[in-house]
Amino acid sequence: MNWKKLGKVFDPSRHRLPDGCTAFAQSPQAVVFDDFVRIYFSTRAVDPANGKYLSHVAFVDMCKNLREVLRVSDSPVIPLGGLGCFDEHGIFPMHVMRHNGLLYGYTCGWSRRVSVSVETGIGLAISRDGGLTFQRIGPGPVLSASLHEPCLVGDGFVLHIGSLFHMWYIFGTGWKRFSEGTPPDRTYKIGHATSSDGIRWTKEEARQIVPDRLGNDESQALPTVIAISGRYHMFFCYRQSFDFRSNRERGYRIGHAWSDDLVQWTRDDEHPALECTAGDWDSEMTCYPNVFECEGRVYLLYNGNEFGRHGFGLAVLEA
Amino acid sequence: MFKWQKLGKVFTPQAVEGRSWLKEFAQAPSTLVFDDFVRVYFSCRPAPDAQGRYVSHSAFVDLDRRNLFEVLRVSEQPILPLGGLGEFDEFGTYPVTVIRDGRDVRAYYAGWTRCESVPFNVGIGLAVSRDDGVTFVKAGRGPVLPYSPDEPFVLSGPKVRRFGGIWYLWYIAGNKWKLVDDKPEPVYKIRMARSVDGVAWEPLGKDLIESRIEPDEAQASPDVLEANGKYHMFFCYRYSSHFRGKQFGYRIGYASSNNLIDWVRDDHRAGIDVSEQGWDEEMVAYPHVFDLDGKTYMAYLGNQVGRHGFGLAVLDGTLA
Repeated sequence: MNWKKLGKVFDPSRHRLPDGCTAFAQSPQAVVFDDFVRIYFSTRAVDPANGKYLSHVAFVDMCKNLREVLRVSDSPVIPLGGLGCFDEHGIFPMHVMRHNGLLYGYTCGWSRRVSVSVETGIGLAISRDGGLTFQRIGPGPVLSASLHEPCLVGDGFVLHIGSLFHMWYIFGTGWKRFSEGTPPDRTYKIGHATSSDGIRWTKEEARQIVPDRLGNDESQALPTVIAISGRYHMFFCYRQSFDFRSNRERGYRIGHAWSDDLVQWTRDDEHPALECTAGDWDSEMTCYPNVFECEGRVYLLYNGNEFGRHGFGLAVLEA
Repeated sequence: MFKWQKLGKVFTPQAVEGRSWLKEFAQAPSTLVFDDFVRVYFSCRPAPDAQGRYVSHSAFVDLDRRNLFEVLRVSEQPILPLGGLGEFDEFGTYPVTVIRDGRDVRAYYAGWTRCESVPFNVGIGLAVSRDDGVTFVKAGRGPVLPYSPDEPFVLSGPKVRRFGGIWYLWYIAGNKWKLVDDKPEPVYKIRMARSVDGVAWEPLGKDLIESRIEPDEAQASPDVLEANGKYHMFFCYRYSSHFRGKQFGYRIGYASSNNLIDWVRDDHRAGIDVSEQGWDEEMVAYPHVFDLDGKTYMAYLGNQVGRHGFGLAVLDGTLA
């Protein structure tokens, strides 16, 4: 299997975005409709209170050839959480899946802290209007920190397999100040939880399901899972836990693992591999993958340089 | 009918010397009875930092079982360390509730972290002692009771009990940050969760006690005793705004139940109110009720929510 790159397909600077957002189209998440593919992404506005970023969810509808933009959402898809809520300062990403004729949006909510920059949790919001707007099932998260997952539960990706919901997500293993004079950085790993209703989840508490390639300080994010020819494939991104923002050698790359039983995962980043392309929009990093099937083809949406400031691109799987 | 006969203040944190982490406050008393003494856990604070921010620790004082006004010793150290960087209990472990579990002592405690848009968030942790409650080891670095869709923040004030082999945790869950003079103040209500092992909890998912004084009434410290075929809950409540003085501050309420789920509130029967004058003339708060040597006692806080210590009252009459 190989990824054939199809280039950048969405550039946020070329469109008018809702919620006063001006840049970033991060963590694209596809939902296939009859006549188009809707791709949710997180974009950013500036908080007038302090100049910090607020992440908002928007979407772009594309033709099923994934080349032409049909429209960009012009009103909020989901408002940010209320004062003191886990998703007050951003939703990034929101993974959307179909269930029982509804669309379930699993949000990763962000709220700011004092000693560290942020805490996250996973919420659930449901759409009854075909994905134009989503309403929370409650103001709190469905998955958050627990006894052995002390912080930063987020990035939920959900599949309904048999009679069970499976969620792959990330949990923080801790914050650390890696060098004097720099803010603390966090490390997170990919975990797994199951549920019979998509709301009440049972975690495999603190079991890291994908082995590290870079050692203990590897951070793993954005798991996305698809079945291809009877085998489950997971794509995710990984990086060093510090000095990863501008140091190309330490930044995000796309990883891969496969499983036949959804329990044991074998890491194999090279098959298929997604390399950075020198001189192109993804020359420095590749991150925030989302795999989906459309018209018999398997596609990978992902972000490139600067964590998706300039948009997202696409690759197609070749057997 | 019953009422509480006040016995006076038993512990004054300002009187303790040689502990930089214990300068003031002795909040949310919780007892563990030994042969010769009653160990009362409480939460205290060192002096605030340069920006006026506090951290809180939990510790204990041992009272002579034959004379509860005789202080035998005060713990040399806090019973728990603060949490690590970015953990839920980085800036406080307050309050704490203790219970024996075989030869162990378990503590459920609220951990505090600092937030940007609101001053704090709180979660409930678990720690275990194997030395009769002198030191505790955390069961994990995260909370034992995660936030959930209808319990979004400020899970605090745990009170643990076991009835019929089931673990019960009463606690409070925030449902709103209310802006009062542009400052966020939390509104919280009494909740309950059950567990077969005290680790995996099943929240009941509803407010147990109807609000009485206003819809945004804040409720805290739900402590439950079984007596005479019923369950009796003592708790405290306050207004949502300007509650740091007498007029809108904490009072102690009462509710009873036959099944631990459906509660009938009747504050007129609480049997305790603020005093005409003295250390509890402005508020009475954070009740903890316990049986000892044929009597039932209430430990509680007075003015400024325990800044100057806690007191005791003894039950006069029958819980029925």
